[in-house]
Amino acid sequence: MAHPVVRWQALVRDPDQAASFYAATFGWSVDDRNALGYRAIPSAGRGIGGGIWPIPDGQPMVQLFVEVPDVEAALAAASAHGGQIVMPRQVLPDGDEMAVVAGPEGIAWGLMRPRA
Amino acid sequence: MLREEFERRRRSNPRFSLRAFALVLGIDSASLSQVLRGRRAVSPRAAAALIGRLGLGVAEIDAAANESLRSSHERRLLRQIAVPGFVPNTRRLARRLRLRGDDVNAALTRLLRSGRLTMLSPARWAVVPEERR
Repeated sequence: MAHPVVRWQALVRDPDQAASFYAATFGWSVDDRNALGYRAIPSAGRGIGGGIWPIPDGQPMVQLFVEVPDVEAALAAASAHGGQIVMPRQVLPDGDEMAVVAGPEGIAWGLMRPRA
Repeated sequence: MLREEFERRRRSNPRFSLRAFALVLGIDSASLSQVLRGRRAVSPRAAAALIGRLGLGVAEIDAAANESLRSSHERRLLRQIAVPGFVPNTRRLARRLRLRGDDVNAALTRLLRSGRLTMLSPARWAVVPEERR
């Protein structure tokens, strides 16, 4: 795969409740020792890691993140092919870059470029 | 929500004026005008009272109060971010603003999505002026 899916994110109304549910059901543990208090759920070897974030609006959902070498270029490609930019490129406090685009039917994908 | 209701009433009666709407709501028309143009904030309690006067249901009052609360979180967050020496840290912001960290992060996400805020580098966030959005 040219640009791999590298992370998932549960966008929920009650992140504490979601974290407890995932811990009890899947045995996942949360690490929120970071600047944004992001509830990161690292992968334990197999599979991809993810995290939990409070949903700003709308229905709770799971969002996937695609790793790209250049976030701005990926946004431009998405726009040129009829996608919508949901969130422009941001540089997170840990140095990762991210953005969110929606495809033709509105499915929102995160784009990310890990810090160099 | 007030703006939508005003527009709805105007569509059914083009002569329905801002002054008439202010009379229905029991506030002066200058204040209403500022509220409708987004130049004046309404507290959650006041918003619920205004919508109550329109005869709307509990769910709509809840939605309006929630919207008003969220706008207030966003405005307070932007003011804090604009303070010199601002440190991009959710827990710190939550303490300063006396909000839950999740409320700070949800407001942050709305601001980023609407282009009102941008994270330029790990240590630098910038409030985007209206004309540059």
